[in-house]
Amino acid sequence: MARTAAVKAGSKTKHTIGGTIGLIVLFTILAILIIIPIYALFIASFKPGEQLLQYGLNLTLNFKEWSLSNYKLLFFGHHDYWIWFRNSMILTIITVIATLLVSAFVAYGFAAYDFKFKNVLFVLVLAIMSVPFEVIMLPLYKQMTDWGMMDNYAAIILPFMAHASTIFFFRQYLLGMPKSLIEAGRIDGATEYGIFFKLIVPIMKPAFAAMAILNGMNAWNNYMWPLLVIRSSDKYTLTLGLNTLINPYGDNYSLLISGAFFSIIPILILYVAFQKYFIEGMTAGAVKE
Amino acid sequence: MRKKLVALLMSAAMAIGMLSGCGSSSKSSTGSVVSGNDAGGQTTMSVDGDYTTLTVWTFIELHQEFYTAMAEKWNKEHPDEKVKLVLSNMQYDDMHNKLSLALESGKGAPDIADIELGKFPSFTSDKDIKLRDLTDVIEPYKDNIVQSRLDIYSKNGKYYGLPTHVGTTVAFYNTELLQKAGIDYTTIKTWDDFKEAGIKYHNATGKEFATAETTAMWMVNLMLAQKGGDYIDADGKVDVNNDKVAEVLKYIKDMQDAGALGVVPGGQPDNEEAYPYYNDGTYAVQIMPFWQTSRFTSYMTDLKGKVAIAPVPKFGDNDATWTIGGGGTGTAVIASSPHADLAAKVMAFIKLSPEANEEVWNVLGFDPVNTSVWTDTSLTQNPDNKFVQFFNTKPFDALLQMQDSIGSLKSLSESAAPSINNIFCTQVLTNIFENGADIQSELDDAQQQLENELDS
Amino acid sequence: MIKKVFYSKKAAPYVFILPFVLTIALFWIGPIVNGVLLSFQNVLQDEWTGLHNYKRLFTDAIFYKAVLNSVKYMIGTLVLLIPFPLLFATLLNSKLMKHPNVYKSIYFIPALTSVVVAGTVFRLMFGESDQALMNQVIGLFGHAPIRWLRRGDTAYFALLLLCCWRWTGVNIMYFLAGIQAIPTDLYEAAEIDGASKWQQFKSITVPLVKPTTVYVLTISIYAGLSMFLESFMLWKGNNSPNNIGLTIVGYLYRQGIEKRNMGYACAVGIVLLVMVMIVNLVQLKLTGTFDKEDE
Repeated sequence: MARTAAVKAGSKTKHTIGGTIGLIVLFTILAILIIIPIYALFIASFKPGEQLLQYGLNLTLNFKEWSLSNYKLLFFGHHDYWIWFRNSMILTIITVIATLLVSAFVAYGFAAYDFKFKNVLFVLVLAIMSVPFEVIMLPLYKQMTDWGMMDNYAAIILPFMAHASTIFFFRQYLLGMPKSLIEAGRIDGATEYGIFFKLIVPIMKPAFAAMAILNGMNAWNNYMWPLLVIRSSDKYTLTLGLNTLINPYGDNYSLLISGAFFSIIPILILYVAFQKYFIEGMTAGAVKE
Repeated sequence: MRKKLVALLMSAAMAIGMLSGCGSSSKSSTGSVVSGNDAGGQTTMSVDGDYTTLTVWTFIELHQEFYTAMAEKWNKEHPDEKVKLVLSNMQYDDMHNKLSLALESGKGAPDIADIELGKFPSFTSDKDIKLRDLTDVIEPYKDNIVQSRLDIYSKNGKYYGLPTHVGTTVAFYNTELLQKAGIDYTTIKTWDDFKEAGIKYHNATGKEFATAETTAMWMVNLMLAQKGGDYIDADGKVDVNNDKVAEVLKYIKDMQDAGALGVVPGGQPDNEEAYPYYNDGTYAVQIMPFWQTSRFTSYMTDLKGKVAIAPVPKFGDNDATWTIGGGGTGTAVIASSPHADLAAKVMAFIKLSPEANEEVWNVLGFDPVNTSVWTDTSLTQNPDNKFVQFFNTKPFDALLQMQDSIGSLKSLSESAAPSINNIFCTQVLTNIFENGADIQSELDDAQQQLENELDS
Repeated sequence: MIKKVFYSKKAAPYVFILPFVLTIALFWIGPIVNGVLLSFQNVLQDEWTGLHNYKRLFTDAIFYKAVLNSVKYMIGTLVLLIPFPLLFATLLNSKLMKHPNVYKSIYFIPALTSVVVAGTVFRLMFGESDQALMNQVIGLFGHAPIRWLRRGDTAYFALLLLCCWRWTGVNIMYFLAGIQAIPTDLYEAAEIDGASKWQQFKSITVPLVKPTTVYVLTISIYAGLSMFLESFMLWKGNNSPNNIGLTIVGYLYRQGIEKRNMGYACAVGIVLLVMVMIVNLVQLKLTGTFDKEDE
């Protein structure tokens, strides 16, 4: 590859620089377009809530009107934002850990063994992946009511622990693992489960990173199902709580905007922390033929 | 290095989340006064001695504060029947949905719930109504309460909701703008006067006088009630394409065509998109329920000292009613609650007693349902009151003029009401006033759709 | 004894897949079957009504409107969210591009925001006021303010823009993962043969990322047809003027949750399920995914 590059280097330098500039311009414009709504939200968080109520969201900068009052309200005001924040945090962490472990456990079963009904069950995984959750939402809601699981986080976590697309992804990832690893483990006298926990889990790090981001995003931003399940407002998550601020009887934009902006931060940190493995994990688990 | 930093940041963020989360939850359980609750969530009062805990669902933040303060008054006066209110503030649609689902499944319902007028009929339409009949607890206050406001929450002669305010529909005139255009609002007595003034205003300024609503029906309902019409026929069947409805819409459409009315952004005066257009004088007049006062003081602050509150125009002296109550929230008690009787008594006190109604005006700026308060000038003309300060007429003067003729539409308490309201506010009014559709055919369409929807 | 069975190599695979089987049985198969049964009932009156719900559904103009909206939305997202992200991913992966990781991270940020936040931001951006962002933008070109969310065409634009904003970055990631799995020597060989970049894109990248494309296509169809929350947030609830924002799931929610018509709502859900299945089967057939498996 180095050679090809060198061969071309002489004749195509100009072309190359032009191409680079062109690409950078193109992608910078795209980046700006993508950042605008976030930027608008950011500057709105320094404007009085009533202004937003009156003029909508825009990019007008008028530093005279800027104040930290929305953030003061967010951090020191008397409201439930931090209860919602804590609830979302807890729910997201539990969901991600549980989903990753259980799904990896199941995926390993599919990837490492041959057993009766394996193909039937795997087709089932694929089939479940293409069933919109909304189809089962109402019957599941009814079932949860009958089982007395309403207003309970378990009702939010349990149905998605063995998560079809995560299982599928992990299985793809594990298909690329060396079988010798398992054999070596067996020779060392490890049990089947010991092999999974001691040998397989460690090599799945990039895959875990990729799925932690995707599942974390989903859990942190989940709205519809928690909305149906949760009743007590002390169990509200951020998305549910923020939405109570949008009300025909007096919107509370001051808290909504600063709170909305702040709500992006934890998941952004998660993303930044794991993004190095993200592409790697995604590539390894990518859909193969 | 970077990884460490990230890890550190993350754990810090989490710690903040956990700590402050715990902090504020303990705050709400120990704080004795719940006032200053900036947003949402759950509030609990603290009560000494024996008490009964009552759970309350609401979708209006301000009610939490108000109910708590009044419940403390109740506890003082009734030391042997103390209550502790645990209030949950939820999102508007969500609260109503959850309430109906909870009532249906018989699990997880609160003791008390605020139900908005537009949603109320769906809770009284079933064969067995799951709300407690409140007729007995209303009785002691009944003489002073505006009757039509009890009727809207009633079914078969029984009352199921305690009203919060009358919502008397009044006219808000921007006197500064009107004077410039040479219009004296006090001469506007009839809708013809109103129309004429609107045309004159339009010719003088090039701007529109008031709005043709597309997302609400404050003015439409008012005019229909004045004409003695309704959206249902004598048998209670949906009848939205009758002549009176068409006449009202035609009248409004004529005003629009003459330049007197425009369509304000947001489609009605009580909308976040609309406030700035009133605030900066793009529109001069609002026909709105009295509670719009609080929107003026919060969102149309530039209009301080420029707005007069006046009685609404009528068609003539033979109108079926002069004005109507608009909007509202009925507080209901869930019949299956083990404390339903106590809850009913307490809430009747909190919503209907004179002392409660004084606070309704003082704190919320609403026109109280207990009219004994209306004539107490120390209250209604209190110079320290921000609503008194804001308007350049005495707010209650207009109310007192119309006091004996505050009607309602019968259909508002019918089970079809939510569907009727929905189809008008999302379809009929938009198509007529924004897209220029033919009035009669729009109404016929709506009638057809409603029949389909309500039959099955 | 039990312990011995548990640890045997024969039992192990079943233990491994047990959580999946349990979850599926309890939380998916059960509700789907139940949904089918409920769709033949009037739940509130607790009676069997046969095909009544379906008959009503197929004469329900509002349901057709919802289906049309969802299908239009799905097609729009497919047109915008497959070719462009693929092209962007290819360009980002080009050797000419500097600091691609920075850009990738930026493009991914919108996906991290919840629909509640993103929808609210877009609702305010598409406000009717002349000072709302989108009206300011068209104002630069001398256009009068538009009531974006009250007109069918502009509302469709707003919904698509919201969707593109949130998902372009994610799809770029999927395609990048696919592209990076293509052996580089293929491109080198093509280069030596004098193939242009465009020819390389057409005859190497596009065919070789096909599995990724099929995957993205599948989830886009699924997500497009079952879109709801975006519309729910953009119109601050489930009601839009003339139902321009109503989707199939929106109608399911309206009937099942808002109007307590559980049976009718379940029929809507079953129709949605059948639609997603059919569209995806056709799609998998057309892209030849089945043929591969037959070989």
